Amino acid sequence: MSVLKAVFLIIIGLAGGLAVGAGMVAFLTVLGIAPRLAQVTRTAHYIKWYENSIVAGAVFFTWTGLQDMLFHLPKDITLLFGLFAGMFVGLLAAALTEVLNVLPILAKRIKLVDKLIWLLMAMVFGKVLGSLFQWIIFIPFS
Amino acid sequence: MSGFEKDGDTMPKSERIYLRLRHRVQVKPDQRVTLNQIAKLVSNLEDDRRLENMVVHQVSPQDKHLIVIDVTQVVALLQKRFPDLEVEIIGPTQSILEIVYPSKSPRFLWVIFVWLLLFIGSGLTIMNFHEDVSMQEVHQRIFEMLTGEKEEYPLWLQIPYSLGIGVGMILFFNHLFKKRLNEEPSPLELEMFNYQQSIDQYVIMNENKEAQNKLDERS
Repeated sequence: MSVLKAVFLIIIGLAGGLAVGAGMVAFLTVLGIAPRLAQVTRTAHYIKWYENSIVAGAVFFTWTGLQDMLFHLPKDITLLFGLFAGMFVGLLAAALTEVLNVLPILAKRIKLVDKLIWLLMAMVFGKVLGSLFQWIIFIPFS
Repeated sequence: MSGFEKDGDTMPKSERIYLRLRHRVQVKPDQRVTLNQIAKLVSNLEDDRRLENMVVHQVSPQDKHLIVIDVTQVVALLQKRFPDLEVEIIGPTQSILEIVYPSKSPRFLWVIFVWLLLFIGSGLTIMNFHEDVSMQEVHQRIFEMLTGEKEEYPLWLQIPYSLGIGVGMILFFNHLFKKRLNEEPSPLELEMFNYQQSIDQYVIMNENKEAQNKLDERS
């Protein structure tokens, strides 16, 4: 009976993981973050490595996250970790905005095609300051 | 010794021009649009100034914002004026004239308005996103995982995280100090191009349909 239960759990776990993993890869593919990074850094040859790094990262953090693992690293490491995490979220946000085609339509509508960089910077500053506000003021004082 | 001295109808048959319409041309509200403004001409004529300066369209207030000049209109005009000319068409078969009116409202007010809209909107969006995915808890969890200490407000992680968002966005759009990391167009520029291309295509199709309607009404 317990073997049957175990087999059942394995199947459910595997199925869930497959669905979530496939979904995540599909999402990242649509947004095209890895190709974009490869293009900017002119390292398109290493795109396979980038794929592997996405998979490895997802698996590693799923596993360590589920295991209550503690690494006891110095506090400064979190600075670097935060910067990288933020950059990735920034890439995600930018890619999403781009997929939704907000900026070109807006710039065209109000005839500011030559000031597109301004609109972009408005969003960048908005996100950075909004995020800082949330961590430093909004959450501690609510 | 070729060329046209009088009415152009003295031209030998071998006179031939290659005509390539420009895709999109900006014009003034009262401009007389000449052929060389909307097209690139290549010819073996000694003097093709009369050709080049042939008026194709006179912009009038009824034209509103966009005019589509079809290559058939141009060819018809050319045949009327220069019957012996052979015209070879290369490239696009329509040219879109965009009438640029002097803007009335001060643009910098618009810029400020839109800037604030995007600034506040995207700030709110990122906060909503963080709430949505319980980012605070995730950051607390990561902080504990990395350092082994519990911290309710892991600002060491969160402040660089916030700055990183900005860096990531700029990286994606490749707009770092206007200086290109490489020569290729950025996704935004491509998006802008595609959007413009769609509008142009729509205008070309739509204007053609309108021309058909007008003919039907007349008959």
